[in-house]
Amino acid sequence: MRVAAGFAAFALAFAVVPFLGLPAFYETFMYLLLHAIVLATSWNLLSGYSGYFSFGHGAFFGAGVYTTAALSGKYGWPFLPTLPLAAGAAALLGLLLGAVVFRVRALRGELFALLTLAVTFVLATIMLNTVDGGPGIQVMAAIPKIAPSASGTLYLMMLAIAVGTLWISYAVFYSRFGTGLFAIHDDEDVAEVMGVPTYRFKLAAFCLSCALAGLAGGIHAVFVSYVTVAETFSIALAVNVVLMSALGGTRHWLGPAIGAIVITALLYACTAGEVAVLGRALVGVILIAVIVLMPHGILGKVLKRREGPVVHPAPVAAPAVITRSGPILVARAVSKAFSGVQALSEATFEVQRGEILGLVGPNGSGKSTFINVVSGHYTADSGSLIFEGEELIGRAAHRVARAGIARTYQIPRPFPHLSVLDNVALPPMFGLVTMDRASAQAQAWRWLEFTKLADKAHRFPSELNLHQLKFLELARALASRPKLLFLDEVLSGLTSTEMDEAIQLVRAIRDQGATIVFVEHVMRAVMELTDRVVVLTYGRAIAAGAPRDVMRDPQVVDAYLGTAGA
Amino acid sequence: MPSATLLGQSILSGVFIGALYGLLGLGLSLSWGMLRQVNLAHFALAFLGGYLTFQLSNRLDPFVTLAVTVPLFFLAGVALHWFLSRYAADTLNTLLVTFGLTSIIEAGIHWFWTADFHRMDSVYANMRWKAGIFYIPLPEVVTLGFALLLCGAMWAALRFTDFGRAARAMTEDAAMAAAFGVNEKRLGYVISGLASAFAAVAGVCLALSHTLAPVQIYAWMGVVFAAVMIGGLGSALGPLLAGLLIGVSEAITMAVTAPTWAPLVSFSLLIAIIVLRPAKF
Amino acid sequence: MKINRRRALAAGGALLSTIALPTALRAQGKPIRIGSTLPLTGPLASLGIIHKVTGEIYVEDLNKRGGLLGRPVEWVLRDDQSKPELTRTIYEQLITADKVDLIQSPYATANILAGMGVAQRYNKVLLHTSFGIPRLAKYEMQFPVSGSAFDPENVWPNLIFDAAAKLPKPPKTVAVVTSKFPSVHHISAGAREVMKKRGLQEVLHIEYEFGNRDFGPIASRVKDVNPDFLWGGTNGIDPVLLLEAMKKIDYRPPAQVHLFPAPGPMLKMPEAQGSLALTTFESHPPFTDDPKIAEFVKTFGERAKDAGIPYTAVDLQSAIMYAAWQVLEAAVTATKSLDDKTLAAWLKKSEVKTLFGTLSWNGPQNYVEGRDVYKVKQLQQGKWFVVHPTQWAAPGAKIT
Repeated sequence: MRVAAGFAAFALAFAVVPFLGLPAFYETFMYLLLHAIVLATSWNLLSGYSGYFSFGHGAFFGAGVYTTAALSGKYGWPFLPTLPLAAGAAALLGLLLGAVVFRVRALRGELFALLTLAVTFVLATIMLNTVDGGPGIQVMAAIPKIAPSASGTLYLMMLAIAVGTLWISYAVFYSRFGTGLFAIHDDEDVAEVMGVPTYRFKLAAFCLSCALAGLAGGIHAVFVSYVTVAETFSIALAVNVVLMSALGGTRHWLGPAIGAIVITALLYACTAGEVAVLGRALVGVILIAVIVLMPHGILGKVLKRREGPVVHPAPVAAPAVITRSGPILVARAVSKAFSGVQALSEATFEVQRGEILGLVGPNGSGKSTFINVVSGHYTADSGSLIFEGEELIGRAAHRVARAGIARTYQIPRPFPHLSVLDNVALPPMFGLVTMDRASAQAQAWRWLEFTKLADKAHRFPSELNLHQLKFLELARALASRPKLLFLDEVLSGLTSTEMDEAIQLVRAIRDQGATIVFVEHVMRAVMELTDRVVVLTYGRAIAAGAPRDVMRDPQVVDAYLGTAGA
Repeated sequence: MPSATLLGQSILSGVFIGALYGLLGLGLSLSWGMLRQVNLAHFALAFLGGYLTFQLSNRLDPFVTLAVTVPLFFLAGVALHWFLSRYAADTLNTLLVTFGLTSIIEAGIHWFWTADFHRMDSVYANMRWKAGIFYIPLPEVVTLGFALLLCGAMWAALRFTDFGRAARAMTEDAAMAAAFGVNEKRLGYVISGLASAFAAVAGVCLALSHTLAPVQIYAWMGVVFAAVMIGGLGSALGPLLAGLLIGVSEAITMAVTAPTWAPLVSFSLLIAIIVLRPAKF
Repeated sequence: MKINRRRALAAGGALLSTIALPTALRAQGKPIRIGSTLPLTGPLASLGIIHKVTGEIYVEDLNKRGGLLGRPVEWVLRDDQSKPELTRTIYEQLITADKVDLIQSPYATANILAGMGVAQRYNKVLLHTSFGIPRLAKYEMQFPVSGSAFDPENVWPNLIFDAAAKLPKPPKTVAVVTSKFPSVHHISAGAREVMKKRGLQEVLHIEYEFGNRDFGPIASRVKDVNPDFLWGGTNGIDPVLLLEAMKKIDYRPPAQVHLFPAPGPMLKMPEAQGSLALTTFESHPPFTDDPKIAEFVKTFGERAKDAGIPYTAVDLQSAIMYAAWQVLEAAVTATKSLDDKTLAAWLKKSEVKTLFGTLSWNGPQNYVEGRDVYKVKQLQQGKWFVVHPTQWAAPGAKIT
């Protein structure tokens, strides 16, 4: 509420400018600043937050410009009704593009940048040859009288959009949505497995980003009053928004706005006739100096310094009592092949509710593939996986997480740009019971305490050692309060004292009511921890039962001695 | 339906312009793919090279100016790498710093040579051959030759030499490469130096067959970036092939229909390639 | 172009002189401040500099002659970076914050439109030098000084085809190649209508995007149809690129026009000789018969060289800026007023003699319809000469 009041106060403070009787220049100049703020901030919503680097912001801005220009300039519509359409046209373009592009997993990084760049050229060409036709469009729309002057009105409209955009940027930044986007930025696959609906989030962020750019474009068409394709669909715009965001800091909601103000003001300062050329060089020098001095952008420092207090939550709640019995997960004839190699071959076994099941087998026997199939990372070729009576195969990974299944990674895959606390707070936001950010963090503190990482809460994963990273993996998996937890070689690489600690931890987890599938090479731990063991070789479950019985099974002895046991 | 002469001559024209896209893209691709530096200043450097050639062409043969510009630019590339690796840690920051550098170089060019268009007079400008029904102008052939030579040599170097193996290892996994004794630092300087030297060569081609003006620095960015990205970062032949694809598809469009639709065809083609065949990349 | 110390010093001197300007003024009293923007950086900078040098020469001379109304004139010039939105903002700054007395023309259609909107809001007279689409100029206190008619899309093609009819071999077939650059595109569209009326056969019509890099295919298509006359709806550097592309395939149209080429780069090209183009003024008699104008041509040559402008003769670009100041001076002097309404009223009913002919503003939207002061020039042996209409032709020059 305090923040909302802050935004309102800010908006009101600037809304009085046109009524002060200042020279109109000031509102026009501030309009330019606000315009840049909207463009940079809207770009950052997708590209800064989720890391999908768009080089085509000019296209979406241009879609808005030309919607208003065509409707208002050519068909004589009044100005205001064109604005929702300008935003809508840009959003629709984003939606169509996103719907195609985000389905294809490999289209990250440069390819996404290229695609959006190419869309700019394509749209510009279409506009030039159809809507525009060549001579440009004059937009002489009547501007509603909100302020004493026309430029005052445009200023107020852009102010409203800028405040709205900043509010959205802020709200997203501190919401589940924003956390999900940041997780996508760092590791999209893990984010999906942690329950983040990556496709929908990316699409939503893209549409939002486009709509805001389109809206700004609609107003700008009237501001410049004469639009041409060359001026509108310029690469310069795409480059400028990137520069502004990076200069201000892409990982802060206010960063792009700060960058926008700095760059726009700098460029304007160089308009004095005699020094125009030198001014351009000066802008370059300043830009380089800023980056050298502030490599994470102007607001990057703010983020680094964010050291919060260590919170000690109430002790972990009493262990949940396991009421029901019977299998929690039933795998029937699950098969998966990779370019001819049969990683899983009709694997069939059950996981009983409340047990610690050891999943063992030589290297390449299909253990990791099984986890990847259950967690939705791969889709099985055939077979069925029934979790609590529901089929998992064919479900998107984030819906598997929602159902209450969590996993750890053998090689820890934390989100490198999120603090340890945020890493652990993410799964509760997207797990079985979805929480808002504040309660997720409270939950996270609990698990940090549990894994003895509380004093590292505000560090970044790069500052942790392997042991701590493994525990971070655990804390993250636990934080979503899963019903079924897959632990993928959590012990490998640990010293024997660290291992003892870890084994204690796994026991404690089970005591809280989770069912655990424990994949491990360290036989000592398997014997000590597990209630039952399933042995996989060549993707097939060849034995199941109490650890000591299974290990005496001649088939199992053969499998181990024949391959990995030598 | 266009005549065979028209179509053939247009395709040739597309090949020549595509070669220049590839040549401009080569250095960009190397520094982006291998050093994770998006060097926007590459375009400014190429034009600076063009202007230097233009300036020196009063006294020297345009090709002889390469003896001056290539070593000079190699050093500039080394210096740039030193600066970027020291002060611009991530990829986005290299973009910012090199954009700043672009502004500085652009202002420098504007100051020295004015904003006006410049064209170099050289004995080569008027040389051309007639091969059957087609005309083949020398400056364009030179551009194509340079593009084939440099992209080919770079490709071979990356594939068959120790330098290349080390460079590719570094691209894959810098830490691992370092563990195997790859001198990452020195390699970085060499690659950055080469990339800039290629800009000098591209500069000569620009001066030979195109117009020089400070604003032209930005005119090539979009299409060359597209060629680099579609060709694959760090690839030596990729940008050239992609450049040829863009150049030829645009030229054919221009020959058979309204030239204003040309970008639509080439860029739709690119979009289709990316979306439909992601596995290839 | 040579770079030398002199140029650097000149630029430095220019910088110093702006700082020292107030004390250097010769006329007495509070200066009359006239504000405008020009594209000193960005894509239009090569033309902006010509306008800047021209304006500086005029204002300097004006002050030597005692200024306006006995007061010195100060030209407040700022760089709009070739961007319309900056043009708009700076004009607003000039008018509402800097409170200049009068405003002068920016450069290029989009920027003039941006400036015109501001002028309209504050009721300022706007003279403009380079507005490509007259129908879009709807403000009652805007006045063109470019010499263009209200309907250039009709007047100019007729002018050009009149000139072409005087060619040794008058054209019957025409290939139209035009850029989508707004103003020239507009003229080319008109030319196609005019061709129909004059019974000329259009054998090819192609449009390309302004900023096109590869003229090879376009050249091949022109060669393929082999017209009597090439209508180049081109401006800036495009004519040179098109000519070069045609040269590369060993083709040269029998006759051709390029509407507004950058004058310099074409001069030395053998294949450009004989090209026609539009102009208002060239640095030869009868234009330079007036000693005042001859003096200006000489000064411009020197200053342009110092500023590093490669083409140092006065032509269309420089002349329209000069005319803009001539018209402004005439209006202020005749009305003895700086009031915009008074100036506008005077302009509407008056005629002003400029260096390229007499301008008036009594037609639709302050233009005149059906005629203007444009001429056709031809590149002959490395120099541009006006060849049509004959009263403006260089002595002895003939269309060839």
